[in-house]
Amino acid sequence: MTALVVASLSAREVGRRRLALALMVSLPLWFYLVRHAQAGSSIRMLTLGIGWAISTLTLFVVNASRTVDPRLRLTGASVLGIVGGRLLAMTGVGLALATGYGLLAVVDQKPLHPWSVMLMMVVTAIVAAPLGSLIGAVLPRELEGAFALFSFSAVQMLADPGQLVAKLLPFWSSREIGNYAIDGGSTDLIWRGLAHGAAVWVICTAGTVGFFAWRLRLARYPEPRP
Amino acid sequence: MSWPAVFEAELLRLGLQPRRARQLSTETVQQAAEHASAPADIFGPAHLYARHLVSELTVTAPVPMRTTGPVLLRLTGVGKRYRRQNVFHDVSLTVRGGEVAAIVGANGCGKSTLLRICAGLTRPTSGTVERTRRVGLVPQDGGTAGWLTAEEHFRLFGAAAGMARPRAASTGDHLAARLAWRPRRDQRVQQLSGGTRQKLNLVLGELHSPDLLLLDEPYQGFDQGAYLDFWQQVFAWRDAGRAIVVVTHLLHDLANVDHVLDLSS
Repeated sequence: MTALVVASLSAREVGRRRLALALMVSLPLWFYLVRHAQAGSSIRMLTLGIGWAISTLTLFVVNASRTVDPRLRLTGASVLGIVGGRLLAMTGVGLALATGYGLLAVVDQKPLHPWSVMLMMVVTAIVAAPLGSLIGAVLPRELEGAFALFSFSAVQMLADPGQLVAKLLPFWSSREIGNYAIDGGSTDLIWRGLAHGAAVWVICTAGTVGFFAWRLRLARYPEPRP
Repeated sequence: MSWPAVFEAELLRLGLQPRRARQLSTETVQQAAEHASAPADIFGPAHLYARHLVSELTVTAPVPMRTTGPVLLRLTGVGKRYRRQNVFHDVSLTVRGGEVAAIVGANGCGKSTLLRICAGLTRPTSGTVERTRRVGLVPQDGGTAGWLTAEEHFRLFGAAAGMARPRAASTGDHLAARLAWRPRRDQRVQQLSGGTRQKLNLVLGELHSPDLLLLDEPYQGFDQGAYLDFWQQVFAWRDAGRAIVVVTHLLHDLANVDHVLDLSS
């Protein structure tokens, strides 16, 4: 129950920040428009923009709750309820964004496998939320977290896809699925992408829960003797 | 409304019997008339003078023998070090149900750290802590989400405590009313004044009916009336058998508390 309440109130909180929300929604669009003339590249850039937007949003939502979380724990909330609720909300926001942009890309660019473009966007959104959450857990101040995310996105954008470092980056799954969606080829690309996305999701989610369990741990004191 | 009417209404709101409120109002107006002045010129704003008068009456009334309950917090030889710096050491304190303890001391002497240790959010370096399970913490500042309303905070903290939404909302409204505050449904916390935000913090600390309340200078931003309301609330909690530990730097608060722990010493 706590997770659902945290999720609904986190979503409401984000929904009230109209300007931030508008900037977040428009961020992937700039990535897309810059490469609009090149069909494949524009879709790949779009996913990067979605990943960056959602992970940054999650990072700021996590950081904004830093003073509330210990009180919620003390009141009786579990770490899973707090972290899970927030991830649920941000994943929901991410999925809405990804679906909208996925439809735009499908209609506008007419890719080889439209359904896999949608899948690419969805996987990006699902991975981005726990990534932002993990960075928020490890680096609990906005500026440091924002720089870390900036670094991830920059390396993701610039890394040579053939290099090992590209495969270790969180959004490599989107690139793999994108290769199938845009260039065609074996469906192995899809499965490899899904497996990578699942691994990143598990690592980021487990890492977030682990860090928050440590940060929000409560000392277990015995009941006072009479 | 005229000064006597506001004065009488405030006395009624603070729980005086109607006959007693009318009598005090008449006497106050008579006293002002004896000085050939308006009551406002002598006593100031009617609602503040009513609160002051009630607090004075409460203090001067014969104090009934209070019975204290079981021990709800016991610190024995507690110390805290950050790296090589000793913040405090060998602190001992026992607080029973029906008691108020004040933690005082100079800036930076570790008052808030000690309160966090009591809450279980920070671990002591040495010593032992025994504490009842149900505890509420009211921080000095922060602890709320700026984009949510007070009602949404009641819902959030109520859910954390396992309370149903309607019960959390009605409890929150009721506790807010006891601090002379009626939350507006559409007002976000960031739009509240500092004092009202602290009232919200107090309500959130008490929402799940903890046995032990830990208050870290919770009256920041309160006006005089709210400050008096706050202490009345503390003593109401005490009379209800709860234990309260309050960090304060205002020495005149200490007259009515049961224990004073001076961390500077």
